[in-house]
Parts: sequence; structure tokens; C-alpha cells
Amino acid sequence: MTRDRLLRRTVALAAAAGLALTAAACSSGSDAGNSGDSGKPAAGASLDPNTKVTISIDCQPPTTKPAERKQWAEDVTAFNKLYPNVTINAKDASPCEEPASFTAQLKGKTQPDVFYTYFTDLEQVLDADQAEDITQYVNEQTVPALKDIDPSVLKTLTSEGKLYGLPTTNYKMGLLYNRKLFKQAGLDPDKPPTTWAEIREDAKKIAALGNGVNGYGDYSATNQGGWHFTAELYGLGGSMTTEDGKKAAFNTPEGKQVLQNLYDMRWTDNTMGATQSLKWPDLMTQMSTDKLGMYVGAPDDITYMVQTLKGNYEDYGMGPMPGGRGALLGGADYMFKKGSTPDQIKAGIAWVNFKWLTMGKGQFDYARTKADGLPVGLPQPFLFGGSTLDADNKAKAASATVPVQNYAPYLATSVPGKTEPANAQQIYKVLDGAVSAVLTDKNANVDKLLSDAESQVNQVLANLQ
Amino acid sequence: MADTSTRTLISETQLNRPLGRAVYWTVLVLVVTAFTLVFLGPLYWLVTGGLKSTQEVIQNPPTFFPQQIHTDTYTEAWSKLNMGRLLFNTLYYAFGALAFQLVFDVAAAYALSKLRPVLGSLILGMMLATLMIPSTVLIVPQYLTVLDLPLLHLNLINTPWAIWLPTVANAFNIFLLKRFFDSVPEELMAAAAIDGASPLRALWSIVLPMSRPILGVVSIFAVVNVWKDFLWPLLVQPDPKNQPLNIGINSLSVGVPQNVVIAALAIASVPTVVFFLIFQRNIMAGLTSGGLKG
Amino acid sequence: MAAISVSARRKTEPPAHADPSQGRAALRQRFRRHLTGHGFLLGALLCFAYFSWYPMVREVIMSFQKTKRGKTTWVGTENLDRIFADPDFWHAWRNTLLFTVLALVLGFAVPFVVAVLLNELRHAKAYLRVLVYLPVMLPPVASVLLFKYFYDPGYGLFNAILKSLHLPTSAWLNSPTTSMLSVVIAATWMNMGGATLIYLAALQGIPGELYEAAELDGAGLLRRIWHVTIPQTRLILSLLLLLQIVATMQVFVEPYLLTGGNGPRNSTLTVVNLIYQYAFSFNNYGSASALGLVMLLVLAGFSALYVRLSRTND
Repeated sequence: MTRDRLLRRTVALAAAAGLALTAAACSSGSDAGNSGDSGKPAAGASLDPNTKVTISIDCQPPTTKPAERKQWAEDVTAFNKLYPNVTINAKDASPCEEPASFTAQLKGKTQPDVFYTYFTDLEQVLDADQAEDITQYVNEQTVPALKDIDPSVLKTLTSEGKLYGLPTTNYKMGLLYNRKLFKQAGLDPDKPPTTWAEIREDAKKIAALGNGVNGYGDYSATNQGGWHFTAELYGLGGSMTTEDGKKAAFNTPEGKQVLQNLYDMRWTDNTMGATQSLKWPDLMTQMSTDKLGMYVGAPDDITYMVQTLKGNYEDYGMGPMPGGRGALLGGADYMFKKGSTPDQIKAGIAWVNFKWLTMGKGQFDYARTKADGLPVGLPQPFLFGGSTLDADNKAKAASATVPVQNYAPYLATSVPGKTEPANAQQIYKVLDGAVSAVLTDKNANVDKLLSDAESQVNQVLANLQ
Repeated sequence: MADTSTRTLISETQLNRPLGRAVYWTVLVLVVTAFTLVFLGPLYWLVTGGLKSTQEVIQNPPTFFPQQIHTDTYTEAWSKLNMGRLLFNTLYYAFGALAFQLVFDVAAAYALSKLRPVLGSLILGMMLATLMIPSTVLIVPQYLTVLDLPLLHLNLINTPWAIWLPTVANAFNIFLLKRFFDSVPEELMAAAAIDGASPLRALWSIVLPMSRPILGVVSIFAVVNVWKDFLWPLLVQPDPKNQPLNIGINSLSVGVPQNVVIAALAIASVPTVVFFLIFQRNIMAGLTSGGLKG
Repeated sequence: MAAISVSARRKTEPPAHADPSQGRAALRQRFRRHLTGHGFLLGALLCFAYFSWYPMVREVIMSFQKTKRGKTTWVGTENLDRIFADPDFWHAWRNTLLFTVLALVLGFAVPFVVAVLLNELRHAKAYLRVLVYLPVMLPPVASVLLFKYFYDPGYGLFNAILKSLHLPTSAWLNSPTTSMLSVVIAATWMNMGGATLIYLAALQGIPGELYEAAELDGAGLLRRIWHVTIPQTRLILSLLLLLQIVATMQVFVEPYLLTGGNGPRNSTLTVVNLIYQYAFSFNNYGSASALGLVMLLVLAGFSALYVRLSRTND
């Protein structure tokens, strides 16, 4: 088994390197599909529709999401018209990734053939040696939109020059705000603040409405405070770690500005309210009940506020990340289990491409999404640039069900996406403490908090070497 | 159980004095009111929370009565979260675990108490040592074991065995049973042996009939433990079709409106409450009639 | 239930027919007894071996290993050195001790007082007993989510009640100073039923004559509790105390579900929560195992000390 796999990979590599080695050298019959197209690299060719192959895949929408579940089934049927011999064995465990089962599955090598991960999981998956290098399989032919995928997204799925996953969705953080409260406070709901100075001013006006309304809110628990610190630091142009990821790099004027801002809004302006240590979804709950003016978040928070908390799309707007120098970018992707056969990898790529990366199909079939009563027009995912982006925007506008103009300020400003640092959770946990201290301790010393956090993060990073 | 005739801290004569009576009735009314509020109040909140609209549930300040009754929340919770399936799974796991524990743990406790084979006390010590290690720590090595049982090479994931068999390794239950069996007079055992009764027969006709209270206690613990477990079923039952209530509700509740989640919790609580009310006499008798006496 | 109070602790083996002429038969019989004994033990032994002992050994091994890029190597005490250097290690132990102390004050004293009270009441006894035990039977997810809902500083019930009584409100789980207490209150509500019923059983076992005698000596209510009730229930109290300390030191689910594990400024981060984070959030299984090992040693040491102390007191 292992030798066979090794041989195949050698063949694939050799072929890709342009050596005149015929695909017939492949030892096993199941690879027969590759030999058809002469002159093309074996691994890089798309899946032969005649190949019989079964793949297991997770993150099928659960029964609580009937519309999305129905779409998944439809897409599998449509996909099977193209590839009748591919059997997709879907798993609908919810949530798609749960830390304890994810770790246990990697340890036990029991994840599905095509498995869901977050952008930040690559390190963990590689440490467990549980993902196949798919560099050779992904090209303009297997994933036609490849050239338009945001390079910063692909970068998060790449390690030492090797690609390990294909993205399915992503988000860029921005400023979410309550348009209703903006109007009540006499602010222009089409012109959200873009700098922290403006946010402070607007927050004061919103908080002046009284009745328990806060101008601005932020998370500071379960590592989400660290996550938002990172997003806000990126907005000001800062970085969490040095380029090589070995040292902390946030003890800078920008880092200080982030904490100082929060401190000032909490204690000087009194616009953040006395209740702190908030975590997901507290801010959304507050905003959907019109108790919160602004916070930093991702576009799909709007979906949550409407679908789960029964708010109205009209009430929520989105502006660019304050500072505008960078926006934290996160998302999810599929990776391919170590030991999968080339055909399984090809089938998996074909399915991911069909469902998540093809305009007009799968998640980009906006007409269907609209017909199924799901929202169309939110500025997410944000995977593409170039001509694909234009096509996407046009298709989205044609079927829009949500007030797209509410996100115009967010879309108008192109803030470069910046991915999360490696080993994000451990770094976030340290910064969580700093953010929490600033928001709960009136005597907090910002400089000391930052330098303490810096030395702790350096310790964490040194341990990982 | 003649509760009233037993002499307790305060004597009947003291209570029958006018002052004693007044104090007694005040205390009684206070206790009954306080207990009802503290223990039934949350259930009231649970049931009415499920009847509120999504916006009302997260409204500040909260309302004590639903402004409008939304019974459809309950039907939505029932169908969307697949509650019937979750309930069935939970009962299946709980009673299966109970059966395995009753057979294996009773047999083990009997062996340790009455048959006392070589190395018996060492084995008991090793069993008790497992109480000292948090199950959270063992969860990954346990998962790896269940994935591929050493020597047998069976994979128990997604089967009920993955929940039933590990519950047998319950040192606390074995310890309780053994302590109780220890108090069964040795003369009775000896007499049975002289009559030619096999150890199994002695267990069946002498020890077990005398041990009903402790068997009740162990049974309750066995069922409640499965009912309450969280992290373990999360790992070994990845398929939502096989999940018990705790996991099913917790994982499916992401992205479901809060009032629907509350309705689901209310539905999940009903069978236990009903079960408990029906069997409360037996359960209470089991727990209080001395099974755990010093 | 007379049999229960009979202390049938034998110091000798059961009478094996010690007739020298039947030496070989007796030997065979003894052999058979051992064999049957192990036969009865077999099922439980296998389960313990597979699901407790073997994972424990594996866990100890893993605490001296590290996995990087699919390669597992021995690292000596590196994992241990690291957890000692982690400032959260000491936070977690401090929080765990705080939780244990609070949980004992509430989770030990409250059920005892409730049990004494229930034992004195002549009416509504069954009703009250059922009420106290009811939360134990609820699915923990229901209880925990319910309490989360009560504690919410915005739309929560507790603050609404405090407000309507014109009392100062609290941030409950959202404040570093009150978060642990809030967790303990919820945990006590969920779990006090079991302890209450056990105490109640112990109280019912106290012979009434003891109270009468104390009364004749002129002992008041409090003195009767101190001199009769407590000494009479001491054995069961001390056993429960040990088990409860060991169990509360391993607290995980309540803080995990109520505060996400850390809590405001790490105020509810317990040792087992830290183990969970090492293992599942930080992809550092070695540290998790090492911390598990430390916890095992602490609990074992504590139990040994406890057993010793309670023996010398006898």
C-alpha cells in the first residue's frame, strides 16, 4: 500500500517536472484514467468522468438548516450528472469543526477524505501529518477560477510552497453599525466613521440616547478579545508577529493606540457600558435589540442578527475597517486526507470547485438562493478578484434580497486583507487578558499590559520552535 | 418508613407547644415557598421562555409572562432538532449502560467482597486510583483505544458499545456495591456453600435480594451519568443520527433562535421530570434508605 | 434494613474445611474459588483495562513526548518544564482551589443545612425531597444554558429581580470578581440534590435516644446539632468530603459551558479547563498530558494525606 502510494507520487512529481515519462508507468489499474490524455501531467489532469471513486466529506448542512441542506442534495445530483461515478458520502455533524473532535480525529486519522478546516488550522493538521499536498492537482483546468482567487487566501493554505487546501468561504472584518441608532443620534447612516477618532465622536452621540444604549462594543473573552485586538491592529497597519513568526511585533504605537482607544471609550467617554467580558454572540444580541451602535465584525454577523435573532436587514450597515490599512481575513476551506488516492483527491477537488468556486453554481447560484428564501447580497465570501469578482457582483446584484446599498461604504473602500498569525489561538489568549484588563480595570496601565503581553507571546512562540 | 414516629433533633413535645407550633408553621411555609421558587421557578422560566417570540426572549428587561403565546416554537424545535431521535438515543444509551453496569459491576463487586480471589485488593486499589484522574485528560487516549481496541482491532466509533462499555469501568459504583456486599453476613454465605449452592446461586438468591437499596442507587447513578455526559459522546458519536440529547441540542443550537433552543431544552427536560415523578418513590427510597450510610 | 447496620467485617478467610486428610481437595477447592472469583471479575477487568488503565499508561507516555510534522519524539521533562513556566498554570490552580473552597462552603454546607431542616419538618417532606433532587435529573445542557440566561447582565432574570427590588445589579459571569461565585451557585443548584439525600439518609440513622439524652442534660438546639448530629454523621460526612473535593477539583463542564472556559481575565480558568485548552485549542497534547499527570499526583497525594489524617483521628 505505502510503496504503491509512494510510487504514484513519484510518478506524478516526475511527470509534473516535465520528464517524458508516460503515465502508463502507473502501477495500479485504478489510475487508468490518467493515461488517456497524453502530454498532460497525470496529477494535474481533471478527474476522468469514468473513474469510479468514493469520497467522504464533512460539513453537510444539518437538519436545522433545511434550505441549505436541500441545496446540498441538489448540488450532489447536478455534480453526479457530470461525474456519475463519483459517490459523495456526506457527513452532517454540526458544527463543522469542533475543537475536541477535530483534534481527536487528527490523532486517530479518522477525519473524512475531504475535511473541513479553518484557515488557522493548517499548522495543527501538518503537525499531525494529516493532509495531502495538492499543489500538483490544482491548476486552471481543475479550478478554472484559480487565477482570480485572492492570493492572501491561498497563502493561508500554503506551507513551504505546498498547497494543502481549497477555500470555500472567507470574510474580511469591517465596522458593523446600527443604522436606526445612527439616525436617532442625528448621524448620517450612509457615512459610517472610518477612523477611531470619528468612532469615538459618533459613539458619544449614540450613547447620549440613553436607555442603556452603548455607542461602541467589543469582545474581551474566550480569546475573541485577542482576535479583535488583532483586527484593530491590522486596521492601523500593525502586525501581530514578525515576518518569520518568531517574535511578537505588537508592542508598537499602533498596538498602544488600540488599547488606549478602548480604554478611553470605556472610562473617559463612557460609551461602552459597564458590562464587559463579552463574547460571541453578545454584541449581535445587543445590536439586534437596538442597544449597541457600532462594533468590529464580519459580514455574516448580519445574517446571524437577522436569521437567528430576528432583526431586520434594513437596520444594519457595514463600513470599512477603521484605519483602513488592513482588514483581518479569515475563513474556511477543505483539505484532503493523507493517504487519499489521486482519484479521491481529484474527485474532491472537482466537488469543491463545483460547489464553492464556480460562478453560477453551488453557493454562487444566487437565483436559487433567493428562491429558497436565503439572503443574497451580503459582501461575503470575498474570495475573488479580477473578472470573477465583477461577474460575482453582477450576479449578486441581479438577485439581491438584502439592501446592498447598506454595505456600499464597506465595498467602496478596498482594504487589503491580512491573514491571522500562525498559532493564533495561543496569541489571542494572551491579548485577551490585555483587552479585558483595559475594559474592566480603571487603573490599567496600557504600556505595562502591552510589554507583559509581548514577553508572554515571545515565550509562547519560543516554545513552539 | 415511619418518618413521624422517629425522634429527631427537635422533640414532638417541643413542637406541640404554642410557640413551637407557630415557629414550625412559619418555617414550613417559608421553606416550601423558597424551595418552590428556587427549584420550580427555573422550570417555569424554561417552559414560558419557549412560548415567547425570539425578540421577547432577548428583551431587556425580561417579561414574566409571554406577551403572546407561540406554541409553534415547540413544534419547530421538535422537528428541526430531531428531538424524538435524540430522546430515543439517550434512553437507549442510558439503559444499555445500566444493564452492562448491573451485570459486570455487581459481579466484580461480589467477587471482590465474597470470593476474594488472589490480588483482589490490588485490583480494587487500581480501580479506585482511576477516580483520581480527570476524564478530560484521558479522553484522547481513550478515543484512540475505542478507535482500535488493542488485540481485538475493533472500531467502536458510531456504535453504542463506545458508550456502554466504558461506563462499566466505574470504580465508584464497584466501591459502593462492595461495601454493601461486605455487610451481608458471612454465616449466610457459608450456609449456602454447605448446601452446595454455587457462587452464582449464592449471589442470586442471597446477596442480591438483600441489596436492593444499593442496586437502586447504582442504577440511578448509571443512568444519570450517561444522561449527563458531554465530551465523550461528542467524540464517539460523530453522526448526528446517533447522538444523545446533550450533544444534539448543543451542536444543533448554533444558529437556531434562542426561543427555539429554550423550547428544545424544555422538551428535553420533560421526560426526565415525568420519569422522576413516576418513580420518585423508588428513587428516593433507594437513595435515602441507607444505601450510603456510614 | 437491619442487615445494613450490622458490621460484618471479617478478619479471617471464610471457613474452608480445614481437614488435613482432604488437603488436596481443599487446595483444589481454593483454586476453584480463585478461578471463579476472577471469572466474575473478568468483564469489569477487561473494561477497566481497555478504557481506564491502558489509556492512563498511554497518557503518561504521551506526557513525555511531542509530535511535530507527524514525528513523535521523546522530550524528557520538556512538557513539564513548560507548564510550570506558563503563568496560567498558577492561575488555574488558584482558581481551582477557590472553586473547591466555594463549592465546599456552598455545596457541602447548604445540603447539610437543608437536610437537617427537611428532617425536622413533619409535612410536605416528599414534595420537598423531590424538588431538591429535580435539578440533578435535568440534562446539564438545559441547566447550564438556563443559568446563562438568568445571569445575562442585559436581558437576564437575576438583574431584573434585583432592579425591581431597587438593589444594585451585578455583572455575574461577566465580571472577574463575581464570575467564579456565579459558576459555583449554578453548580450547587445543579448538584446539591444528591448530597442532600445522602445526608438525609445519615440523619435518619441517628438513634432518637441520643437526642433525648442530650435534652435531659439540658443541651439547646445548637448544642444538640454540635454534639449529636455532627458526630453521628461524621463518617459519611468525611467520606463525602473526600469524594467531593476530588470531584470538584476536576470541575470542567460548568465553567466551560458558562464562561467558555477562561472567564473574564482568566477568573474561571480551572486546571481541567487549561488541560482542555492545551489539548484542543493549542494543539499541544504533550502539555495537556503533563498537566494531567500533575493533577493526578496532586489528587493522589491529597487523598493519601486525607485517609491518613482521618485514620489518626479515629
